[in-house]
Amino acid sequence: MRHGLKYRMGLTGAVTVVLALVGLAVFPFYWMLITATRTDDELFGDRPPLLPDPSGLGTFADVFSDTTIVHWLTNSALIAAGTTALTMALAVPIAYAMSRFDFRGKVLVGIGLLVTQMLPEAVLVVPLLSVFKTLHLLDSRSGLVLGNTAFVLPVVTWILKNAIDTVPRDLDNAAKIDGCSPVSTLWRVIVPIVAPTMAAGSVIAFFHGWNEYIFAVSFLTDPGLQPMSVGLAGFIGEISTPVQTVMSVGMIYTLPAVALYLLMQRYIVSGMAAGSVKG
Amino acid sequence: MSVLDATSTRGRQRVGGPKPAPRRRAGERLLPYLLAAPAVCYLVAFQGIPFLQQVVLSFSDTSLLNPTSIDLIGLDNYRDVFADPGFLSAVRVTIVYVIACVFGTMLLGLGTALLMNRNFKGRGIARSLLIIPWAAPAVAVALIMAWIFNPQYGVANDALGGVGLAPTDGQWLDSTSRALGTILFITIWQLFPFTAVIILAALQAVPDELHEAAMLDGATWTQRFRAVTWPVIRPTISILALLMTIWSIRRFELIWLMTQGGPAGSTNTLVIDLYRRGFVERELGHAAAVGFVGVVISLAITVIFFVVTNRAEKSA
Repeated sequence: MRHGLKYRMGLTGAVTVVLALVGLAVFPFYWMLITATRTDDELFGDRPPLLPDPSGLGTFADVFSDTTIVHWLTNSALIAAGTTALTMALAVPIAYAMSRFDFRGKVLVGIGLLVTQMLPEAVLVVPLLSVFKTLHLLDSRSGLVLGNTAFVLPVVTWILKNAIDTVPRDLDNAAKIDGCSPVSTLWRVIVPIVAPTMAAGSVIAFFHGWNEYIFAVSFLTDPGLQPMSVGLAGFIGEISTPVQTVMSVGMIYTLPAVALYLLMQRYIVSGMAAGSVKG
Repeated sequence: MSVLDATSTRGRQRVGGPKPAPRRRAGERLLPYLLAAPAVCYLVAFQGIPFLQQVVLSFSDTSLLNPTSIDLIGLDNYRDVFADPGFLSAVRVTIVYVIACVFGTMLLGLGTALLMNRNFKGRGIARSLLIIPWAAPAVAVALIMAWIFNPQYGVANDALGGVGLAPTDGQWLDSTSRALGTILFITIWQLFPFTAVIILAALQAVPDELHEAAMLDGATWTQRFRAVTWPVIRPTISILALLMTIWSIRRFELIWLMTQGGPAGSTNTLVIDLYRRGFVERELGHAAAVGFVGVVISLAITVIFFVVTNRAEKSA
């Protein structure tokens, strides 16, 4: 109404480009679904199918009997849940300390939290291998939880610290007047307010545990302990497993991560945005 | 006022409480250390000490078969590594990969965010769908992309062949000239949604009134972008660029699973190089030296980044 023809044409153009980019972003996953539900003849012909075949959805049920996917899923879920719990247990107290207290070495801890975000996992695979060997943690899910937590803890701490910074200190003072100790202020006042960011931090930690590959493939030799990432990676370049099965497993692996993200996206984006604005 | 209140409350508690005040204050002084200690100790144990071990390893002659025997050999590993054309090519590949990733994800993300920063129906859904590649596990992305870029059956060749753009041999990941480009395309495809969504969030902080005022003054789109939009989103842009740099230096799964650094080292980044030296060739000392060089490079980038942005902010 307010806008002229030129604006509306511009808007149409912008929306078209956005739609094309969204299409590009989603297409590979759509193609996964098509591949999982179509027959070899359809897939390997000259004219690839453009729609999934609903009658082929049975592949998704078959993979549960044809592969060890149940083990993989269980291992991934346990590793991711353990990573989440340990990360949050360590991150909440230190984020509170970084936000609310002045203490010696605080600047150093802050720098440490930034620098540790930069270390590639690959650099530490070898030394962690020998650490875990000494601790008898090779070939165990607990070892992977310990390794994963080290790499996701800094970023989650940072996001939580930024969230606690936004809670007015007047609330702390009020709680103190009511006789709350600093620890119960954390539990009763701050945690409830930053709960959405805590949820976002948990999702980020869960993702990390769910997606992690390099430690899992380097530290595990027992196939019974392999998570989805290692199981799925085993299909790449291998030709004896039908491509439909492979893509079904891939979709089953991707869906929980994407669903969890979509559920929590508002808080994840604001947490990451606040984190990246303040650095 | 509130300070006085707090002291008097504490005083009153002291009357009935068993704890004398000085001890309680000592407890409060210790509290931040107690809160920070578990996470700090944890990071020291699982990042700090292993990293130091890695540095020691880089000065020693150690193989994966016998990782506990440490024979210090000085700078030999570094001399070997710097004399190795494979390593120098890995440095080159890493630089190309990182620069292309950062520019690709930032420009595409900024463009997408600017296009999406208008009111249109379905914007929320578009934003949710757009982010799926970033939320998807790297191993799943490697799997589907290996299938899409399969030389015989891949849909990439079907689609591009339709418009005459497919390479004649159909090779993507197995071609020395195209493998890095393909990996870059996939990396940018996976990361630009993230930069787009974060920049979009920053754009919402740009005040509409300023835009409208500038439009009334007859400012062109470019003038408005430079005067109104850019100052607001610049901090986000610069920290995102740093994040993209770190992420692309760290990126392992995608490249390892799709090309293992090949063909002929054309996608061999430092991270891939050090993993292969450690776990395939079992030369832990060489791997550690490569890793240390990689860490020094990323630290240098970060320091330069902070110096440059600080200077830019001071001069602004």
